[in-house]
Amino acid sequence: MALNPLTVRKLKRFRSIGRGYYSFIILMGLILLSLLGELLVNNRPIMVSYEGKWHFPTYGANLTGNTFDLGYSYETNYRDLRDQFLTEDKGHWMLAPPVFYSPNENTPYEGVFKPAPPSWMNGPAGHWLGTDTTGRDIFARLFYGFRIAIFFSLAFMVLTYLVGITIGCLMGYYGGVFDLIVQRLIEIWSNIPFLYIVIILFSVIPSTFSIPARIGMLLVVMVLFSWTSMTYYMRTATYREKARDYTAAAVVLGAGPGRVIFNHILPNTISTIVTFMPFTIVSAITAITALDFLGFGLPPPTPSMGELLKQGTQTLTTAPWIVGSAFAALVFILILVTFIGEAVREAFDPKKFTTYQ
Amino acid sequence: MLPPKLPRLLLGLIISAGLLLLSACGKKDAADPTPQPDARVEAKAYYAANPDFFHFKTPADVPAELAWDDGNDLPEFASPEAKKGGTLNFWIQDFPRTLRIIGPDSNGSFRPWILDDNSMLFAKRHPNVTSLTEDGFRYYPGIADRWALDRENKTVYVHINPKARWSDGEPITTDDVMFGYFFHRSSYIKAPWYNNFYSTKYSGVTKFDDYTFALHFPELRPDIFALALETNPVPAHFYKELGDDFPDRYQWRNVPSTGPYIVRDKDIDKGRSVTLTRVKDWWAQDNKFWRHRYNPDRIRLVVIRDTSKAFEAFRKGDIDYFNLSLAEYWYDKLPDSSDEVQKGYIQKLKFYNDVPRPTYGLWMNESRPLLDNQDIRVGIQYALNWDLVIQKFSRSDWTRMQTSADGYGEFTHPTLRSRSFDIDKALQSFAKAGFKQRGPDGILLNDKGQRLSFQVTTGYENLKDVLTILQEEAIKAGLDIRVEVLDSTAAWKKVQERKHDIQFVAFNVGPEMFPRYWETYHSANAYDVPFLPDGSVNPDRQLKTQTNNLQAIANRNFDQMIEAYDKSDSLEEMKKLAFKMEELLYHDASFAPGFNIPFIRTGLWRWVRMPADGNVRIATSFSEYSLYWIDEDLRKETEEARKSGQAFAPAIKVYDQFKQD
Repeated sequence: MALNPLTVRKLKRFRSIGRGYYSFIILMGLILLSLLGELLVNNRPIMVSYEGKWHFPTYGANLTGNTFDLGYSYETNYRDLRDQFLTEDKGHWMLAPPVFYSPNENTPYEGVFKPAPPSWMNGPAGHWLGTDTTGRDIFARLFYGFRIAIFFSLAFMVLTYLVGITIGCLMGYYGGVFDLIVQRLIEIWSNIPFLYIVIILFSVIPSTFSIPARIGMLLVVMVLFSWTSMTYYMRTATYREKARDYTAAAVVLGAGPGRVIFNHILPNTISTIVTFMPFTIVSAITAITALDFLGFGLPPPTPSMGELLKQGTQTLTTAPWIVGSAFAALVFILILVTFIGEAVREAFDPKKFTTYQ
Repeated sequence: MLPPKLPRLLLGLIISAGLLLLSACGKKDAADPTPQPDARVEAKAYYAANPDFFHFKTPADVPAELAWDDGNDLPEFASPEAKKGGTLNFWIQDFPRTLRIIGPDSNGSFRPWILDDNSMLFAKRHPNVTSLTEDGFRYYPGIADRWALDRENKTVYVHINPKARWSDGEPITTDDVMFGYFFHRSSYIKAPWYNNFYSTKYSGVTKFDDYTFALHFPELRPDIFALALETNPVPAHFYKELGDDFPDRYQWRNVPSTGPYIVRDKDIDKGRSVTLTRVKDWWAQDNKFWRHRYNPDRIRLVVIRDTSKAFEAFRKGDIDYFNLSLAEYWYDKLPDSSDEVQKGYIQKLKFYNDVPRPTYGLWMNESRPLLDNQDIRVGIQYALNWDLVIQKFSRSDWTRMQTSADGYGEFTHPTLRSRSFDIDKALQSFAKAGFKQRGPDGILLNDKGQRLSFQVTTGYENLKDVLTILQEEAIKAGLDIRVEVLDSTAAWKKVQERKHDIQFVAFNVGPEMFPRYWETYHSANAYDVPFLPDGSVNPDRQLKTQTNNLQAIANRNFDQMIEAYDKSDSLEEMKKLAFKMEELLYHDASFAPGFNIPFIRTGLWRWVRMPADGNVRIATSFSEYSLYWIDEDLRKETEEARKSGQAFAPAIKVYDQFKQD
């Protein structure tokens, strides 16, 4: 498929904005890495060679201690196994991930579950950023927290745009009474306080549901209360495009409303949409973090930056590394996305490429 | 007259709740109320209409051969070194929603300050002499100066101290006692619990003269004195406007107190702080048992919504003491090595008390699928690693709870021990229930492919790590626990509606003589019609909600024991029954006993002083018996020392004279 020469020019321009472009590369890299998360940050090794047999515990079913003749029927503690391999020297070996901790695993520090400082601050080896209040590895939690937050935000963006754009375009295209009624409905709808709804919803229908289902519910609720803002932009953009000659030409040629809206009008409003995307992601990450901070976001023990921030504020004096890591990670990600957003906006700025009749 | 224990129990559950979040504002002031007919007149008509309950006799009718007790042979427990004066600064999480001590919203975290800890009662249980006598516990005099038990007629005679005064100067008389029964049984107060309590626990009250009255009981229970003496009269002159609008009319009025502290109107800074002031020339301030207590002139309670902020306020010296019961505070946030402690500015006290223990544990709902199977419940008990929680979370400070009634002294089962974490036994027990195979994630499956998975709900945000630890360990035994942490009100609502699988919650129990079983374990609190007349299980029974039978336990055998226990007037028989019931409960396995917290830990600034032996045996909080005093000279000295860096001897004290093994 050949790209529209205009789009090619926009992309070229985006590439030329160094800050945004490199932020984009880094963010994509991080997302790719996070997809391979189980191989990089996990308490299961990538590969174990035991008595001539190879095991790959990462993705499969869990291997009980009996597999390695440890004499227990629950999941193997691979860190202990590694230490055993090292001391026994019987030719068994394993390939461990760089961070050998899972995000939900409590590891005691000085015999109790309490925050351990990062390894470079004289903390226990292996915890690069230390542990949180119940001894869970902060790096692992941030890593998986990022993965959940970014994919949550992407899903959030796709869904809000799907609803927002469709309704916005319909309002702009049909106009008149339809537009008037839907606008009023939107005004009423957006006056419902979102936070209360989330609080009420999560206290009333808590869950015999699984954690993914509850995350899904949160997503749906957030989308339900966020699609409205997109309709305003799409409505005006559609009104503008509808008045153009090419739309009239398409209608004269017999195209139905669906075809006109999605094949003719939408591609011409794409620059508006694209510039909003990164900022939607930013606001989604912020929202989910804020909700977690308040305790109404992702259900525990889902790793999340907001939950870490909350812990951090409670242990500001005793474990500053918790709030420090979470804050730095959050700021880093938000800055990346914002840089991308700015670059996209500049690259897609319609003033540069369109001429008004 | 306020009944002693049950509201506290509720209080314990709801305390700290975000319940009061939408606090303070809103309710209209009772500035210009419409006139109301005098309730005292209505009360008199009520007495006349209920001659079975309200009796009027003459002093000559008091039996002559009564053995009166005045408690004066008991030892005092306050320190004669205590100094009067000064201001105590402390914090509350939410501004009180009302100043009423009864009716809607009155059961919040402010209540102990105006009622439970700071009111006088007719007589109070001696907090150090706690061994059982044949008449039950020993009492020291409060508003009453003597009392006597007539076993034959199930009656307690009480004589009010003629010097006793309300905080507004009015004398306390028998009329206030009589009025109390009218008040607590009336529908005006919008407090059904009190209506029921005062209608069923007492069978009558007799006035002999202004200072002598008798209370009659339907049953002679070993703790009859608790019902008779641990109550307050009700100020009839204050509640004369009692009527249908009582909750609104009395919302922000200061009740005259029987105790040493009152709230003055000008000391209420809505949403911010409340200050209590000591009653000038309080009538009992030199009485034995009451002198050297209630020492600060003022108690200032500032609203701080967030615990960690309150802790910072404590470290700055803005509030004078702080509860350090959580290991995190005791060891990490204010370690012995910290500057304030080493320089002796802040004292750290650990006091082992000896009281019935709140029941921290997992309550399994037997009406839920799978949990109705005893083998599953037993398996769950073995799959819970409480010892690891105690070791790793409390840093071995807590102790394992053994029965549902720990800390009741002779009433606690001497040999019964709760189940310890044991993967093999858990797996065996789960296997009996058909869960034999581990799934790919290590969780057990039965033949139908059902996972062994339950939701554990709690409202204790600060104890959620306990559940995280249990969850990680339970996986080893093939059990999946899904942790749900809710706001405390929402969590309590969930369990009250029986929508929980398993709940992590505790009943806060008062220092009572013996445990209660009816509320928590009787089938009448589990189902509407639990059994058919022939004794078989009613197939159409409906769950009963809003009761304390969290397990929905319904067992005929158990019911009979509870009924016998509740009717018994013999301590020995009750003990035997209590032990049998605990064994039955162990067998049933629907309550997984968790841990006991056997101490109070407090951080105090140097100017807050305590008696040399720390506190009294049954104290459940630092301030409960008001034995402390504020030394304003020391405050000045310490504040100057903080500026100059001068150090005092560190004070880290452990009081283990009441420690149980």
